[in-house]
Amino acid sequence: MNEVKTLQNGSGLFGYKFLKYFEIAKVNYFNSSAYLVNLISRSAIVVIRIWIFTQLYKVSYAISGVSEIGGLTVAMVVWSLMMTQSFQTATRPQLSKIIDEEVKSGTLAYSVNRPYSYILFHFSGFIGRSIPNLFINIFIGSLAALVLVGPIGLSWEALLFGAILLFFGYILDFFVSLIIGLTAFWIEDTSAFTWIYSKGQLVFGGLILPIALFPDYLQKIAELLPFSQMYYGAARLMVHFEPTLFLKYFATQLVWILFFGVVAYYLFNKGIKHVSVNGG
Amino acid sequence: MSLSMVAKYIFLTWEMTKSSILSAMEYRVSFIVQVFGMLVNDIALVAIWLIFFQKFPSINGWQFQDTAMLFALATVNFAIVMIFARGAFELSKTIVRGELDYYLSFPKNVLWHASVSKTDISAIGDLLFGLIIFFFSGDISLEKIGLFAVIGVLTALIFLNFIIITQSITFYVGNFEEAAEQMFHALLGFTLYPQTAFYGALKIIMLTIIPAFFIATLPVQLIQKFNLEFFLILLGFWILTTIIATIIFRRGLRRYESGNLINVKM
Repeated sequence: MNEVKTLQNGSGLFGYKFLKYFEIAKVNYFNSSAYLVNLISRSAIVVIRIWIFTQLYKVSYAISGVSEIGGLTVAMVVWSLMMTQSFQTATRPQLSKIIDEEVKSGTLAYSVNRPYSYILFHFSGFIGRSIPNLFINIFIGSLAALVLVGPIGLSWEALLFGAILLFFGYILDFFVSLIIGLTAFWIEDTSAFTWIYSKGQLVFGGLILPIALFPDYLQKIAELLPFSQMYYGAARLMVHFEPTLFLKYFATQLVWILFFGVVAYYLFNKGIKHVSVNGG
Repeated sequence: MSLSMVAKYIFLTWEMTKSSILSAMEYRVSFIVQVFGMLVNDIALVAIWLIFFQKFPSINGWQFQDTAMLFALATVNFAIVMIFARGAFELSKTIVRGELDYYLSFPKNVLWHASVSKTDISAIGDLLFGLIIFFFSGDISLEKIGLFAVIGVLTALIFLNFIIITQSITFYVGNFEEAAEQMFHALLGFTLYPQTAFYGALKIIMLTIIPAFFIATLPVQLIQKFNLEFFLILLGFWILTTIIATIIFRRGLRRYESGNLINVKM
């Protein structure tokens, strides 16, 4: 009788163990498939967007009867749009929203007391978040662009100098986003500034229409604005390298970084005076 | 559903939205910043196409005026959904967190209640923008205003159905929140561009998975030149998507697992 009981318990235990591992496998499966659905959907949207650009610019160039506008062919336009979109969307979630939340929720009060620079802490986070997204975006975007418009000639110097502009572009975007987030010290809702900022990037940042295709007078203005110096400069240089253009963009970038860096630092110092830490 | 029931639900929707807007108006500065911020945001979107059409004046017959009408319609139908049924856009999140329990305890329709429970204040800016663009878009007649209103509401309902369908997939596959949001943005994305530029497989996507053809391309054509046949197609598509959305939500609701949450809404 006892033997039977032991056996029953044994098989029960075995069954239990098996079930446990099955459940673990199931949880992991659903966990990874949940992310897979997200990854597929995100990638599908990138592909659809590049597909839209391809058809739009193929038709537009064909109607104009030209193969090159402002030094860019259809393939170059599509690749440059793929790059600006990839560079910009890699920074999500928006830093301005994160800072805004921290200011409103009071988390900032705890962060400023810790032994690190608040600004540098967020800068590291901003770059750290952007890198994996950037690689995924570029990988999927490049595949889509390759299939839809074919390859373009990419030189090592174009990639290298483009990457320098991209890094400084991220610094510039960081400072502007930080400023928008910090305005939460004085304004209840900063989302309107975020929308306007992102639309500034959309119009003058070469996210839908490369600045090289702008009318001349507008092109000159757009190239001086900070929006074009975030991601368009890098993309433009990568698809078609011109040393003088690099110097021009790099100088403009540095001026804007200096300006927004000073403003961000000033606002941050002014803002934390509003912070009052309550014990408890 | 009887006609009096429909009227009752419309009245309730109006009252709930009114109270949401009135409570948001208590924070006056925030309200104004959100509405006007969105207005400026939309103006920037038009600006880009103003620049585009300077370089390429006509894309297979599609000109800047067509884009202006497209933006008028797209912002109005988007605004209608976001003002009256913002909650539908958060259905997936509500399902995942088990927060549908709250709506299940009421005698009113769960889908309706969850949808109308939230209002996007900034969408008032979109609505204003859409109406301004429409009235400045050229030859305005009483007939055209009526047509714009009817098609605006009809496309908003199709848009809403699309949101309900994509958000309700969460009932079946678990985490679909981000995917549903991406599909929503893809649909919005299509409404930005000259509609005559698309062809081939991309056009098929616009007719099926991401039905931009029915909320942008066809409605703009209808407003510019009314055609009964096209209007009936649009009406038919609305009925079809309503049936699909209802079935997907109802079947999904049977699979819903409560979050055992006790929420008190103030």
